[in-house]
Amino acid sequence: MSVSRIGSLAAAVVLAVFLITLSRGISLADGKGTFAAKGCGGCHQTEGPATEKTFEDKLKQKGVELWYAGSKFKKAWLVEWLEKPVIIRLMAYNSVSEKNTIQHPALSKAEAQEVGDYLMTLTAKEVVPGSVEEKGGAKAKNLFIKQYGCIACHILPDKAGKKKGGITGPDLSEADKRLNGAWVYAYLKDIKLFKPVRRMPNFAGIISDEDMKALAGFVTGPR
Amino acid sequence: MMKSVFIGLFLICATVFIAKGTVFAASAEENYKFYCVQCHGKDGTGTGPNAKPSTFGLDLPEMSVTPRNHASKEDMSKLSDTDVINAITGGGISVNKAALMPPWGKTLTEEEIKDMVGHLRKLCNCKGPS
Repeated sequence: MSVSRIGSLAAAVVLAVFLITLSRGISLADGKGTFAAKGCGGCHQTEGPATEKTFEDKLKQKGVELWYAGSKFKKAWLVEWLEKPVIIRLMAYNSVSEKNTIQHPALSKAEAQEVGDYLMTLTAKEVVPGSVEEKGGAKAKNLFIKQYGCIACHILPDKAGKKKGGITGPDLSEADKRLNGAWVYAYLKDIKLFKPVRRMPNFAGIISDEDMKALAGFVTGPR
Repeated sequence: MMKSVFIGLFLICATVFIAKGTVFAASAEENYKFYCVQCHGKDGTGTGPNAKPSTFGLDLPEMSVTPRNHASKEDMSKLSDTDVINAITGGGISVNKAALMPPWGKTLTEEEIKDMVGHLRKLCNCKGPS
């Protein structure tokens, strides 16, 4: 291969890398811009850390905080949800007295992709990817239902696919598609970091590290 | 001399603040409205949304174990204050009851749990066994 051909090839590679980087940059910038233009920031916090200190602070919030969305959610689910939102918590946000009937605004396919790209950049260093093996299993299911009673507030389908459980926590029926096990583990370990004020108890120092990993793996593992 | 007093006061305040462990203190009634109503309901009768999702028109079964009716004089008068404190702190499983009642010992302070006993006694208008 001649020197000129090697030079042309190198130039083409550099150009391709530049264009990919540029398009990704534009996509992220567009995603952030779309997020702002659609007024999403009116309900969703994108800058951490959490600042709420009292019930009043918490109850003022209108939507789930997203400053660690990239650590919490699985991207494919997030992009799909942004385009076709569905109810996750059957009670209205922050409420224990009203049913959730909200129609969350939907984005176009392109917007959902852009905003999804942007939200996936919002991560928390405390969530260590790969720290949990996402898998089911009878032992972990027993922890979830019988030992720690998580089913009191969270819905799961039984063997026949019929949903059972409480409604003040998020429905976990499809948490395997929605959540990262590593985030669930980090959340159980240090719940106050993500949500200083919430209706779920603090289980740090109550559930062992091993059981927290098993629960996080079960919740996010295949059904 | 004044400097030592000031440092001493600062250290006492800092220790109290750190020992408190929670970001803020709420009254028992506020805590009940925020946490306990999820299962026990706003009137304490054990009919909160988790216990009876059908109240909201949802096709979900009732909770497998009915949450304690805090308004029941008959039920609540059988429990001593220590029984109640233990159940709140360690959850149902710690007092040989259902695990559906979670432990609140790392969420509420000891003081808040003691205050909660007082609130529950108001709801049932009763005392524990003497």
